[in-house]
Amino acid sequence: MFYLIGLGLGDAKDITVKGLEIIKKCDKVFLEAYTSILTVGKDSLEEFYGRSLILADREMCESYIDDILKEAQDKDIALLVVGDPLGATTHTDMLLRAKQMGVKSQIVHNASIMNAVSCCGLQLYNFGETVSIPYWTETWKPDSFFEKIENNFSRNLHTLCLLDIKVKEPTEESLTKKVRQYMDPRFMSVKEAAVQLVQIIENKSNPGIKKNSTAVGLSRVGSTDQRIAVKSLEEMQHLDLGPPLHSLVIPAPDLHPLELDYLEQFR
Amino acid sequence: MVNFTVDEIRGMMDKKRNIRNMSVIAHVDHGKSTLTDSLVSKAGIIAGARAGETRFTDTRKDEQDRCITIKSTAISMYFELEEKDLVFITNADQREKSEKGFLINLIDSPGHVDFSSEVTAALRVTDGALVVVDCVSGVCVQTETVLRQAIAERIKPILFMNKMDRALLELQLESEELYQTFQRIVENVNVIIATYSDDSGPMGEVRVDPSKGSVGFGSGLHGWAFTLKQFAEMYADKFKIDLVKLMNRLWGENFFNATTKKWAKQKDGDNKRSFCMYVLDPIYKVFDAIMNFKKDEIDSLLKKIGVTIKHEDSDKDGKALLKVVMRTWLPAGEALLQMIAIHLPSPVVAQKYRMEMLYEGPHDDEAAIGIKNCDPEAPLMMYVSKMVPTSDKGRFYAFGRVFSGKVVTGQKARIMGPNFQPGKKEDLYEKTIQRTILMMGRYVEAIEDVPSGNICGLVGVDQFLVKTGTITTFKNAHNMKVMKFSVSPVVRVAVEPKNPADLPKLVEGLKRLAKSDPMVQCINEESGEHIVAGAGELHLEICLKDLEEDHACIPIKKSDPVVSYRETVNEESDQMCLSKSPNKHNRLFMKATPMPEGLPEDIDEGRVNPRDDFKTRARYLTEKYEYDVTEARKIWCFGPEGTGPNILVDCSKGVQYLNEIKDSVVAGFQWAAKEGVMAEENLRGVRFNIYDVTLHTDAIHRGGGQIIPTTRRCLYACLLTAKPRLMEPVYLCEIQCPEVAVGGIYGVLNRRRGHVFEESQVAGTPMFVVKAFLPVNESFGFTADLRSNTGGQAFPQCVFDHWQVLPGDPCEAGSKPYIVVQETRKRKGLKEGLPDLNSYLDKL
Repeated sequence: MFYLIGLGLGDAKDITVKGLEIIKKCDKVFLEAYTSILTVGKDSLEEFYGRSLILADREMCESYIDDILKEAQDKDIALLVVGDPLGATTHTDMLLRAKQMGVKSQIVHNASIMNAVSCCGLQLYNFGETVSIPYWTETWKPDSFFEKIENNFSRNLHTLCLLDIKVKEPTEESLTKKVRQYMDPRFMSVKEAAVQLVQIIENKSNPGIKKNSTAVGLSRVGSTDQRIAVKSLEEMQHLDLGPPLHSLVIPAPDLHPLELDYLEQFR
Repeated sequence: MVNFTVDEIRGMMDKKRNIRNMSVIAHVDHGKSTLTDSLVSKAGIIAGARAGETRFTDTRKDEQDRCITIKSTAISMYFELEEKDLVFITNADQREKSEKGFLINLIDSPGHVDFSSEVTAALRVTDGALVVVDCVSGVCVQTETVLRQAIAERIKPILFMNKMDRALLELQLESEELYQTFQRIVENVNVIIATYSDDSGPMGEVRVDPSKGSVGFGSGLHGWAFTLKQFAEMYADKFKIDLVKLMNRLWGENFFNATTKKWAKQKDGDNKRSFCMYVLDPIYKVFDAIMNFKKDEIDSLLKKIGVTIKHEDSDKDGKALLKVVMRTWLPAGEALLQMIAIHLPSPVVAQKYRMEMLYEGPHDDEAAIGIKNCDPEAPLMMYVSKMVPTSDKGRFYAFGRVFSGKVVTGQKARIMGPNFQPGKKEDLYEKTIQRTILMMGRYVEAIEDVPSGNICGLVGVDQFLVKTGTITTFKNAHNMKVMKFSVSPVVRVAVEPKNPADLPKLVEGLKRLAKSDPMVQCINEESGEHIVAGAGELHLEICLKDLEEDHACIPIKKSDPVVSYRETVNEESDQMCLSKSPNKHNRLFMKATPMPEGLPEDIDEGRVNPRDDFKTRARYLTEKYEYDVTEARKIWCFGPEGTGPNILVDCSKGVQYLNEIKDSVVAGFQWAAKEGVMAEENLRGVRFNIYDVTLHTDAIHRGGGQIIPTTRRCLYACLLTAKPRLMEPVYLCEIQCPEVAVGGIYGVLNRRRGHVFEESQVAGTPMFVVKAFLPVNESFGFTADLRSNTGGQAFPQCVFDHWQVLPGDPCEAGSKPYIVVQETRKRKGLKEGLPDLNSYLDKL
């Protein structure tokens, strides 16, 4: 049996009872560690679950997942995913493969940033397409996500921007070599995202979203020290929201009075 | 020799119209260095105690031992034209008013094909070339190669027929025969010139013409030479004919009847060819009289030609006397230096038409205009063409030419390597020029600054440049164009220190070796192997000797030489190849097809090139190779290294976000083109088409980490489904030998898979020239084998010519290419066996 278990957003205790029960009975438990992170480390998870975890990085989940699934044919294997297994992170391919290999699978859902974002007061009903903002490099500066934000904006929808996470990503140079070298882990902050957005806005001739448009910055949603700030994009470039993870919301132009009231407390 | 102080030389450098930068080029053994010596002994600027010693330019011990030039050397000379000769200079940019002294910077370069990269580096910094041809053996393969290169770089040639003494003394040619020989060589040279340039081109008339005085004749060894100008001067008064007109009459189909005193355009019973009558006959007479000891005739002849024998030479006879007489009568230095000053362009003239060939940036920016006008007040633009070892071990002088502005000791400049791109920081250093120096043969002199149009060396730049680069003070400057070599490093050996503890010394030594030779490649394989790649056996031998003795100074073990191969495909992929990214959200659909014949060569030669305007390039590809014009406009890149003979073409329609993954796909393509699927050798002649791409909607899920490896896998699948083939390098091999040895040559060539495509007798000699194609892989030990089978009478010259498909299927166990693939994989530490298509191709 192959279990995909969501861990929620905050700390070790956010796991569901059902999830915890499965973890305790599994032969092997992997912790997926590249699409998101908890505010606590692997050690405190192990302590709370009372068992050891195996870290699964991107290569393991993408290139060597078949080996894990093979094992799951006659053992109980769980893969722990921060947030919801099928939320912001898309592990659908894994489930398809499991089916192909005749491995039964079960999903245990949990909270994801996709729904927890509502903590800022914007109604989930009014969110449009979600986008990710990737780190730019010297040569690679994609801005197609901005179009999507604008599309949402013009249809009076909010946009949730997930910010880039780089855990054990190979460096650009080593991608074309046999020996991989990895970059230091990086997590995009609201500040960095705002800087990139402002750059795009400055390069566009007549953007719907301006530098003084409102943005909502969120950090460590679901944990006790979560922070939310409402500022213009321009001001957001100088705002420090503390340690990762961060997310950014570009609200629709016309807000419901209740939304407005709620946002007001974070100004 | 001329004794000059550095200040005096510096003074000459400002008179840019009176500068001539020239190289001497020729086939090996045609006598360049000897000829150069006769120039240097007449006009060389640095006078030293060693003056007059033979082979001034060959500075290395092995050069003197082997009697060949290995490294090119620069020497400056000073020469004054006489008043009467100044009229021959008509272009105002060829001479400063009221200055008759000329500063001639000469670069003597090696003739052996294995070192022709040195020639390339020499040509880049010069504007004119003295092409030396042995009039006995005629135009040879290397003459053609270097001449072609010179024309391509817009270097103006003048011709010198060397070794006339041999033609007269050994071959005893009749004067008419000798004329025909000369005529043939001039024609051969002009045919080569005409193939690569035309008279209406920017350089104007490039052809060499004896009647214009741009062809010299003589003997470098004996120290005499002349052009028709010298003889015309002797007769002009007598005939009362204008000098220029007379020069015309002294060459070609002009015959003179001594009895009727009439000129004619055809040969008939009584008249004689003017060249034979007025030029060759007097020389023949002198030779005949002296070599046959006709004492009485000698005295009257000497009086006629106006030569008086000095007292100390009076008891000489035979060859020794001949030398003295000829040298006094027709001094080589005078004739050659006149030719150089009159016919070769000054930097002012040359840089006007060379700028567009030299500069990569827009042709109207400050740097381009500075180069065009050879303006010492414009921003500095200097090209470093090679590194010259200093006496200080491990350090090098950067040797190059100032094209614009001035390079000054202590000046802050931008040092840009070949990978620099404007607006980026890669391969760019802003540093101070420690010192500028003059380089003259074996000696160097410090100099305060060097203005445009001159050649000089720099101290301290070697830390920032590998081999070549551009030095500038102009912030927006682009690079000067990288040199194109006519040979490629196709032979490689692996080296390791005998004592493993010496590895760091070896690594450091390899770095130095890479610097000191314009072409050698030192590669550190990921397997930990150290590879040295060169043009041929001799080139590698010299490189390894340098490495062992000068650069690393440790005993070295070396593997047997092996050849680089290329991977290509024979047909279009038999299926649409799909590969999915690791996260399965991105899919690439591609195919590989072989390029049409001729296109890889067009790319090698730069006729199709990544920097072309894409519309012009597409038109060319459509007209010549029938490529679809819309597709031809969407060539994403060339590879490997961004310039190689493989292309990636976007044939997809309406794929969203495609431009956001372009960089990643290109990176994957460069990787695959550099390390092919069969044996990780470079690809050649493969065109990849992208037909469709499915992408994740979110940018984060289609970054480099997802796309680059996927592209490579997809390209590998394309190759494996398109009938992969191997290509091997082939030498063009020219062998000179007497008729009796021809049979032996065929035997040796047959055993080595060579095939002869031309066999001819050198007119007027008993020598035969055999031309053959010989796979480089079969060339190891070829020279020795050939000598032992022909009694030491055959001498081969091998130059890389082309790549040819190694017959057979590398996927079929037991075939020749299969064996090569397995050997290469083993050497590189790859898994033995064949690559598995299933690990690259994904199912829908």
